[in-house]
Amino acid sequence: MTNRVAVAAASVLAFAVLAAGASAQTYGRPTAAPRTTDAGALTAQAREREVHERFSRGVTAEEHGDWGAAATEFRRVVALDPPEPRGSTARYDLALAEIHLGHDAPAAGLLEDALHRDPRFAAAAANLVAVHLRQGNVAAARSVAERFVAFAPDSASALYGRGLAALKSGDLAVARADFRKLVDNDPSYAVAHYDLALVELRAGRDDAARVELEHALSLVPGYARARFALGTVLMRGGRRADARLAFDRCARDAADPALRALAIDLRDRLAQQ
Amino acid sequence: MRNLRRSAIAVVLALGACIGAAAGAELLLDDPAASLVASPPPGVLGPITESGRTGWNCAPERAAMARTAAAAGLPHD
Repeated sequence: MTNRVAVAAASVLAFAVLAAGASAQTYGRPTAAPRTTDAGALTAQAREREVHERFSRGVTAEEHGDWGAAATEFRRVVALDPPEPRGSTARYDLALAEIHLGHDAPAAGLLEDALHRDPRFAAAAANLVAVHLRQGNVAAARSVAERFVAFAPDSASALYGRGLAALKSGDLAVARADFRKLVDNDPSYAVAHYDLALVELRAGRDDAARVELEHALSLVPGYARARFALGTVLMRGGRRADARLAFDRCARDAADPALRALAIDLRDRLAQQ
Repeated sequence: MRNLRRSAIAVVLALGACIGAAAGAELLLDDPAASLVASPPPGVLGPITESGRTGWNCAPERAAMARTAAAAGLPHD
């Protein structure tokens, strides 16, 4: 009798332990049932997934320098036409691939389109100015740079791009203002001093040009292009011995063979006179 | 005869190039500032990811808006 009571008590205890264990066990969530069977909604989900995948593959291809593969991926993303900011970003990335494939004209069109979709897309504006300047399309570069400066007045890229376009088109007042502001914002930028010197030279202000060139060379003594320009200013001022020294130093510093040859030629001609 | 004509044309072109270069050098000696060119165009900024322009951590956007040349990736010579 005592044994039966003990067995019954043990059985009840074992059941209680098992029941407690089962209630504490956790199960993974089952896969969510589709929220819709609507064909349009399912197509939109598929499109969203494709945009995501192609964006990821396209950026990876660009990071590996595989511009052809990147262009293929981003062409498809552009065709799928995702909403902002992905629409303009896809056009920016496709333009980047086209630039590296040597297709500057379609790249410019894509960047214009990106800026049309997002007028404050600074990276697109910067690359569009760069493409137009590379193509020698100074008027188009100036037009985009004007818009860029309007929404980013302290951007070094915007000021540099508009300054270069203005200098190349002979608008010395705007070029001077942009390079001066660039120098004020970033006094250690030797290239802006060089471009400012070019503006002053073209305006006939040789002394101001010499000051800017000397400033550039104090920042970067091996800046061959600035050294050559200083030689020309010294030559125009009748300081031929100093000019010859400048051309000699330029000939030693220049990595560009054409600049080196020109500096050697001028140095030798000055030595003969 | 054809080879002779080709040779003559080559000599004339080479002479023309030499005379042109010499004239160019003379012009440069008169005003070497005419040979100065502006600094190079800026390089292009890099790729942007799908979510890159959401938030503030987009490197090309930050470069494009930077105040300094180094942060903007502008040419350095």
